[in-house]
Amino acid sequence: MSQNKSKEVLFGLYDDETDLMDAIRVANKEHLEIDEVFTPFPVHGLDHLLHFEESRLHIAGFVYGAMGTLTAFLFMSWVFTRDWPIIFGGKPYWSVPAFIPITFELTVLFCAIGMVVSYYTVNGLAPGITIPTLHDRITDDKFCIAFNTNGASAQDIGNMKDFLSKTGASLIDSKVV
Amino acid sequence: MNQFKFEGRQKSLFIGMMIVGLICMGLTFVSDDALHTRFWTNYLHNTVFFLGISFVLMFAYCAFTLAYAGWFVNFKRIWEAYSQFLIVGLILMLPLIGGLWMDYHHLYHWNILEDVANDPVLLGKSGFLNKWWYTLGTLIIVGVWYLCARTIRGYSIAEDNNGGDTSYSEYVSIKKWAGFFMFFGAFTSAAMIWQWVMSLDAHWYSTMFAWYSTASFLVAGLSLTIVTIIFLKDKGYLETVDGNHLHDIGKYLFGFSIFWAYLWFDQYMLIWYANNGEETVYFQTRIQQYPVLFYGNLLINFVMPFFVLMRNSVKRKHGIMMFAAIILFFGHWWDVFMMIKPGALHTAHEALGHHGDHGGSTPGFTIPGLLEIGTFMGFLGLYLYLGFNQLTKASLMPKNDPYIQEAMHHEVI
Repeated sequence: MSQNKSKEVLFGLYDDETDLMDAIRVANKEHLEIDEVFTPFPVHGLDHLLHFEESRLHIAGFVYGAMGTLTAFLFMSWVFTRDWPIIFGGKPYWSVPAFIPITFELTVLFCAIGMVVSYYTVNGLAPGITIPTLHDRITDDKFCIAFNTNGASAQDIGNMKDFLSKTGASLIDSKVV
Repeated sequence: MNQFKFEGRQKSLFIGMMIVGLICMGLTFVSDDALHTRFWTNYLHNTVFFLGISFVLMFAYCAFTLAYAGWFVNFKRIWEAYSQFLIVGLILMLPLIGGLWMDYHHLYHWNILEDVANDPVLLGKSGFLNKWWYTLGTLIIVGVWYLCARTIRGYSIAEDNNGGDTSYSEYVSIKKWAGFFMFFGAFTSAAMIWQWVMSLDAHWYSTMFAWYSTASFLVAGLSLTIVTIIFLKDKGYLETVDGNHLHDIGKYLFGFSIFWAYLWFDQYMLIWYANNGEETVYFQTRIQQYPVLFYGNLLINFVMPFFVLMRNSVKRKHGIMMFAAIILFFGHWWDVFMMIKPGALHTAHEALGHHGDHGGSTPGFTIPGLLEIGTFMGFLGLYLYLGFNQLTKASLMPKNDPYIQEAMHHEVI
């Protein structure tokens, strides 16, 4: 919900997650394109119903981790063999076992920070950004199905409203976000 | 199908494996040096390996039970069945105990009393490293482990038969025994692995050794669980165990492989850093004279699972999980091999009057030979035979377990 250009949204609120799941099954059958679903808590099986693809975040995480590994290991190797060789406790300059803990730490650090930044960027989140909610009770006890009505014909919007009312939405409203 | 049927074909396969094992053990015994070091190390290695797996599977069972975990109960009968091997492991330890008293094996340097008397390090350890501790420790401690495993299995089966009463009295009893076993097992398993394996290098010690070997056994045990589950599923059993359960055990397999590598590295790095002669000799021997064992160990047990098991979707695929589990099972057998062989060979060389270890390879010590693999097959056959036999004695589905619904609806996202 964080695209820069505003969009018109038609949404319906449901009282129960089973109503929500049933409604999504109906929507799938009628080939209505659901834009977003909001729930106050994670609902099991929702991702399957909405045909979500597997996130690619972990692939990015692996790449960031590998970058951290290389950065730490190559940097320490360069420092302790070329730039400023020092003998610690009679060990050789290139003391690989001593580098491993730091390599591990930088792997985790790069991976974690990289994934957080990627996740925030992809979702348009950042500190200080307020995300408008469609309805306050979505964060409390209501389950919401939202349709994007930008450029939709009056007939389409009518269909969506019919769908929302016949599947038991307790409140139907539209909003520009 | 909830009632497991032990088919004749499987029986003959396992009996065949046991026969191969016996033949290999016989061949090892006759082709061996005067002290039969190769035979006795193989025997100790496989006994401790399978005893350790039985122990950690019971330990994991108790830990899961105490943590209110519900997802594992529809395959918990596998762990119950395998942990009943503890009594057989105890019986298999008896010849090793007898060898300490009657001197027909020379595995432990601390048991040669004239050497101990002149050696301040061994003399200092003699309060713990002596045959009384070894004998009574093994008999009492493994005996209590078995008692716990047997009692817990008894309650678990009683729960099936008595019909779930509302007070879940059997479940409560299992919990109490699990609490005792976790407490007792955690302390005593360390003592026993020091006695059985670490004391082969009688001068050496490592405070990480018990952790390290337990992690090794746990990965091997989880591998065996995965192989068993996939096998049973292919036969049409365990319908309720699905990709979600496999995914979670796969995570354990992955996670504990990393944990094992962490402990492996910690033990190595601390000793490398401190550079005390009496500690570093352990690794120096292994790196210089057993390089294939030493580096192969890390390759099989860390690099392989790290890259193979990393992706989410892999943990649900039967073929690749089977592959990784079998390799890891063998890999941790290899790891225990490396813990046992160099120290025992050194002790044997000293006893036989070869002073100083010479380079070059010794058959059956530097890397596992065919006779070692054969002996391993024999023990594996015995283990699986007894485990499968236990599986037939109860329904594969603990139908009155309070967590059975949770296990059947387990979902991993």
